[in-house]
Amino acid sequence: MNATSLPFYDSRRRFLWQSANGFGAVALASLLGDSRAVNATESSDPKTDSPYASKPTHFAPKAKRVIHICALGGVSHVDTWDHKPELIKRDGQEYKDKSYDPFFGQPGKLMKSPYEFKRRGQSGLWTSSLLPHLAECVDDIAFVNSMHSKTSNHTPATFLENTGFTMNGFPNLGAWISYGLGSENQNLPAYIVLPDPRGLPAGSAINWTQGFLPAAHQGVAFNATGEPIPDLFTPKNIPPEKRRAGMNLLRAMNRDYAASDPQNDELHARIRAYELAAQMQLNVPEITNLSGESAATHKLYGLDDKVTEGFGRNCLRARRLCERGVRFVQVFNGGAFGGKPRINWDAHADLTKNHGNQAAVMDKPVAGLLKDLKSRGMLKDTLILWTTEFGRTPVTQGLKSTGRDHHPNAFTIWMAGAGVKSGLAYGSSDEIGFNVADKPLQFYDIHATLLHLLGMDHERLSFYHNGIQRRLTDVHGHVVKDLLT
Amino acid sequence: MKARFLFRRQISIAWAATTAGSVFVVAVTAGAASLPPAAQRAVIFQTEIAPIFQERCISCHGAEKEKGGLRLDDRKLALRGGDEGTAIVPGDSAKSLLIQLVAGVDEDRIMPAKGPRLSAEEIGLLRAWVDQGAKWPEKGVSTARDPRLEHWAFQPVRRFPALEAVDPVWRGNAIDAFVLAKLEEKNLKPSPEADRATLVRRISFGLTGLPPTLQQVDSFVKSASPNALPQLVDRLLDSPRYGERWARHWLDVARFCESQGFERDKIRPNSWRYRDYVINSLNEDKPYDVFVREQIAGDVLPGVTSERIVATGFLVAGPYDEVGLNQQSKIMRSRAREEELEDVVSVVGQTFLGLTVNCARCHSHKFDPITHEDYYQLKAVFEGVRPGDKDILTAAQLKEKEAEKKRLFASIYRLRRARANLEKKVMARLLARPGDVAEGLPRPLLTWEFESDAHEATGLMKGTLLDGARIENGRLILDGKKAYVKTTRLFRDLRARTFEVWAAITDLKSRGGGLLTLEQVDSSAFDSIVFGEREAGKWIAGSNAFRRTRNLQAPAETTASDDLTHLVIVYAEDGTITLYRNGKVYGAPYKPTGPQSELQTYKKGQSFFLFGKRHTGGGKPFFAGEIDEARVYDRALSSSELQASFAAGPRGIPLGKILSEMTAEQRAERSRLNLAIEREKAAYDAAATRPRAYAAIAAQPSITHRLARGDAGKPREAVSPAGLSAITKPSPDFGLKPDAPEAQRRIRLAVWITDPQNPLVARVIVNRVWHYHFGAGIVSTPNDLGLSGGRPSHPKLLDHLAAEFIANGWSLKWLHKKILLSRTYRQSSAHYPEAVNLDADNRLLWRHSPRRLEAEAVRDALLAVSGQLNLRMGGSGYMPWNLHIDNTHFYDWEDKIGEDFNRRTVYRLGVQSARDPLLDSLDCPDLSTKTPVRASTTTPIQALALMNNSVVQRQAQMFAERLIAEAPSSVEAQITRAYRLAYARAPKSSELARDASASKELGLPTVCWAIFNSSEFVYLR
Repeated sequence: MNATSLPFYDSRRRFLWQSANGFGAVALASLLGDSRAVNATESSDPKTDSPYASKPTHFAPKAKRVIHICALGGVSHVDTWDHKPELIKRDGQEYKDKSYDPFFGQPGKLMKSPYEFKRRGQSGLWTSSLLPHLAECVDDIAFVNSMHSKTSNHTPATFLENTGFTMNGFPNLGAWISYGLGSENQNLPAYIVLPDPRGLPAGSAINWTQGFLPAAHQGVAFNATGEPIPDLFTPKNIPPEKRRAGMNLLRAMNRDYAASDPQNDELHARIRAYELAAQMQLNVPEITNLSGESAATHKLYGLDDKVTEGFGRNCLRARRLCERGVRFVQVFNGGAFGGKPRINWDAHADLTKNHGNQAAVMDKPVAGLLKDLKSRGMLKDTLILWTTEFGRTPVTQGLKSTGRDHHPNAFTIWMAGAGVKSGLAYGSSDEIGFNVADKPLQFYDIHATLLHLLGMDHERLSFYHNGIQRRLTDVHGHVVKDLLT
Repeated sequence: MKARFLFRRQISIAWAATTAGSVFVVAVTAGAASLPPAAQRAVIFQTEIAPIFQERCISCHGAEKEKGGLRLDDRKLALRGGDEGTAIVPGDSAKSLLIQLVAGVDEDRIMPAKGPRLSAEEIGLLRAWVDQGAKWPEKGVSTARDPRLEHWAFQPVRRFPALEAVDPVWRGNAIDAFVLAKLEEKNLKPSPEADRATLVRRISFGLTGLPPTLQQVDSFVKSASPNALPQLVDRLLDSPRYGERWARHWLDVARFCESQGFERDKIRPNSWRYRDYVINSLNEDKPYDVFVREQIAGDVLPGVTSERIVATGFLVAGPYDEVGLNQQSKIMRSRAREEELEDVVSVVGQTFLGLTVNCARCHSHKFDPITHEDYYQLKAVFEGVRPGDKDILTAAQLKEKEAEKKRLFASIYRLRRARANLEKKVMARLLARPGDVAEGLPRPLLTWEFESDAHEATGLMKGTLLDGARIENGRLILDGKKAYVKTTRLFRDLRARTFEVWAAITDLKSRGGGLLTLEQVDSSAFDSIVFGEREAGKWIAGSNAFRRTRNLQAPAETTASDDLTHLVIVYAEDGTITLYRNGKVYGAPYKPTGPQSELQTYKKGQSFFLFGKRHTGGGKPFFAGEIDEARVYDRALSSSELQASFAAGPRGIPLGKILSEMTAEQRAERSRLNLAIEREKAAYDAAATRPRAYAAIAAQPSITHRLARGDAGKPREAVSPAGLSAITKPSPDFGLKPDAPEAQRRIRLAVWITDPQNPLVARVIVNRVWHYHFGAGIVSTPNDLGLSGGRPSHPKLLDHLAAEFIANGWSLKWLHKKILLSRTYRQSSAHYPEAVNLDADNRLLWRHSPRRLEAEAVRDALLAVSGQLNLRMGGSGYMPWNLHIDNTHFYDWEDKIGEDFNRRTVYRLGVQSARDPLLDSLDCPDLSTKTPVRASTTTPIQALALMNNSVVQRQAQMFAERLIAEAPSSVEAQITRAYRLAYARAPKSSELARDASASKELGLPTVCWAIFNSSEFVYLR
């Protein structure tokens, strides 16, 4: 399989021409820029017709699928998982560093966390009382306390978190994984997005764009209610038997046309796509319907509580999608920046109120997901990645405020599950959580590590676009070996 | 980068601290004794020092990486030093950091960082060179000519004489001779000509993006004339549909967005003018060199016109980071600006030159001979360009318009006063006779007439004029700054109700003012008629925290005047809220959901009314305008009641009564005044429109510096605006200084790019046109003709066409015709095994490659075949979404019905975050990416969209209705017509039998649906 060991003009040329000519059943996979399939043109296995067809990895993977919890707005590291005793001592002191360049207003005073930190679990990792359910899970988690980012502006920072670039138009990591690995289930897209039922993220669908990758890799966003994906259901005014007869007529037409150009496999792929679509019409509602889950499971994810119900449903759906072989499920926690009450972690004004509200939504469902995956044995080959675009300042935003500003200099993210060490805190910020003190990491490194766990070399997973073999990690990124089992 | 930068600095400080002081202290304490001895002879830089730098240092300390801020490839920069200060102290090698590091004074920090250490002898040479004064001739490290400059695309276009093919069929068109020669090299034969039905469908979609009409098919298929083909091509090129089709291709490359992207994704309401500019330019076959120059520098080239200003929309059509470019931190702002400029350099380089100049932003291009300096020289050309809405009229035209507007406003005001005075005379009489007041009008609970005060007319409530509110000519005058009226408290409970106001808007820009508000004294709730709060110029039912407020899909107010507008909100018992404007429903009725969305009860003694102020809370809730009359009803009025009330007017006297009371003379005078008012208003509207375009707004920029690693925080030497050094003819030196006037920069670049000697400009566009006609370019990477791009399959043909293209006046229509009339283009798409084995990709063009239609062509074809396509050209795009704004602009797809939504897809508003399930599934690209080649994928999601999307469903229904209307005689006639419209051919007898029987069993719409889903419909052969 080695996409980049081929001279790339060759793979690209094939990409362009397969789309026009359609040779070989694998042309479809090849359409998706996957030259691995080109080596197997003789294959005519209809399973490879699907652009979601599973593809070989660079090396043996530890993780088969990923659930990415993307917490929007900037979650404070010093109030959650990065314990700073020195900040308690220096609470109320002014912070005088001329290089500090706030996103909003003037630098305020150092502010200790209003939450109590304790050692938890066998590992004895420190976490705060803000997230009590996740605190029970620390022995399964690897925290990275030494993250830093390029920008303190939400949207570019979120793009960087999810695409490796600060600009619009670059593929989300889910799109890269779809392109690189396909799905384990041909009836479902490889990359599914579950937006927070409280609201879409800023920039909405820009956040799950395929960028320059083929459109089949665009994240498919599931609606929280109603039709899970657009155009899934047969229109109500068409009775099933009429639809079936219509589909038969269509199949006859398409077969005739394909027969007139027998070597054009793209035309056979089209016939197959309609069969897969019919499958999807059955499968998707089954996945999103949670009524078959036990009462205990409902409770575990907080479905019995109004505060956690909406987000909890998405966490449970994420598990169900993974069970059915979806490669990358992106669960957004939080939405855009307007409106009241605020529906993200952007605690400019009142940290306790904001983080209290957000934690109440996120804590139990994510902890429930982690516990559920573990008890089902799925954590062995499923990775949970939890990220936020940046942290929050150890100082207040302005002298009189009780809020914290955006803070890209140091923050925390975590991973759990397949191939990742557990009960670990990697790297550290300085004594007040202002800058990284040890083992600095950026999202490039997290992405490289993620791809590594999925069996892909981040320097080899590439796609030619306008002069550049583009990578998720741009020209950066190192696999963080110390995080791996 | 900020965090990373801080972090690095800390490391270096930490290092200094652990070594007990500064670097110099280390050096002194280490002493010269621990350094290898300096060579005891005169050292020559070129032969002894430069090779050491070149082999061991420059890979890190060159222009590309510049580690530690230090460069050793340039005399001036090397002597200046790096982030830690001076590296070379001429005359004192022991104090030179460079020497200390290579000598390994600190064991933890030895240079070079990679590879073996320098030998004692090499260090001795370096020491001697430094001790002898570090002499470094101006041209120290020399480079041989870069072999990459020999790449084909940088060579001048050669005019190859046309080959003469032996085969008589393949003679005559130069294209065919070049193609045939290549095929013959491989012993391949070209394919026979496609049948005429296939050809007419191929050409029609190729040139216009639409299926051929029945007449076109008939006349072409039946004609035996050799002129039939050229005539068909000419007719299609003359059709305005041609410009629409090919504009979409151009807009893909130009990454044309009509919204900003990033966090907020606001619409750019004036961006459509650029789209229309492209369509018009293509339709009029504007010479391509002019087309290019206008897009780079139309606003500054001599002879500026509105059209040329619009053309610069190309430069700024990409995403715009509103938050990033306006953030507090200066360095962060400049980084966001560098991203924006990279997008401009990138689109200019790729679109016109087929070079990915943007790859040289951080360091010299990895594959092409494009240097780091080149990037910044090109960036300097655009340093003064920013995006924005720009007047497309000249300054003098604008001034004239302003004066005209003022005059007309005063004139209209005078005329309206005269008319009001005329009416007042008879109204006084009518009001005195109760029977003359309109009958059947609903009876209000409360009425405010504002004749002499702000009290309720029947004395039920008192109103107080506050903060400058005043009564004039029977109207309440509100200044939009502070003025408002507050009433005494409500004397009974009020639930279902209707608010009715006649008001004049005097400031369209005012935001969030309330006309009539009912508010609880504890501020726990209010409901109000609010102007311009969430969307400029639009009305909403305002409420506390927008609990019962929704944005409405309704037009914004467009004129400010003292004309009265009738505004109503009906609050029904079941919570439904309906707005009316001038008697018609404004937007649509809605029933709010969520907390506190139900109908509010305003309690006796606990509520009051406000006029001119949205609520008593903070902000700027003031309305700018006049209120003539306001009424409150204690029930939800019906639509017919409101129409009657609107017709009757504020005094409840129908106009008819007033007119009949007038004398003939008065009536004639009134008609004269009405005519004059209408005339003056039309003139005012014309004067008030200030056409604007989203285009380049240029200002003299500050000097451009090369940025180390592309980082705005690391400026290096100043650079001058210039072309690319890899292209020597025409000379890339514009003779400009770093502070050259802004206009000169872009003019010089525009002229340089379109110089007929420029080796790339014609090759690139010829290749693009080829790509769209054949499915792949002669070079398969149309935005990249550099070393990492594809190799030309027919290099001589490419050059021949490029040269002929220029010789034929840069005419794109000439080029299309040349290509379409070729035998190469007309080949059938059938396979034959020998060719498949040798050239599966059809690079040699032994047949025509079949391919799927693009998303836009599929949708346009659905509408064309169903007979619903609306061919209206130009103007604002249609918007198949509902917009709701919550900081971010959210666009929810809705299949909107109506002629406006049946326009060609090129007129769809280009919103970056908006999704369209049908078009997306057919590979519509991310608008912000520069897309020279569309992907073509086949997915179940695409199948679902074609199966179930309501657009397809409805057009299938319309198609069936059309067929029945046009072929009423039999099902067979309908099926035959369906095939001819959709596939440009008649059905075979087996198809006819099958589909006619399906139609009888399932209905004709189902057959139409199957046709729209069929491969034959969405594929071209």
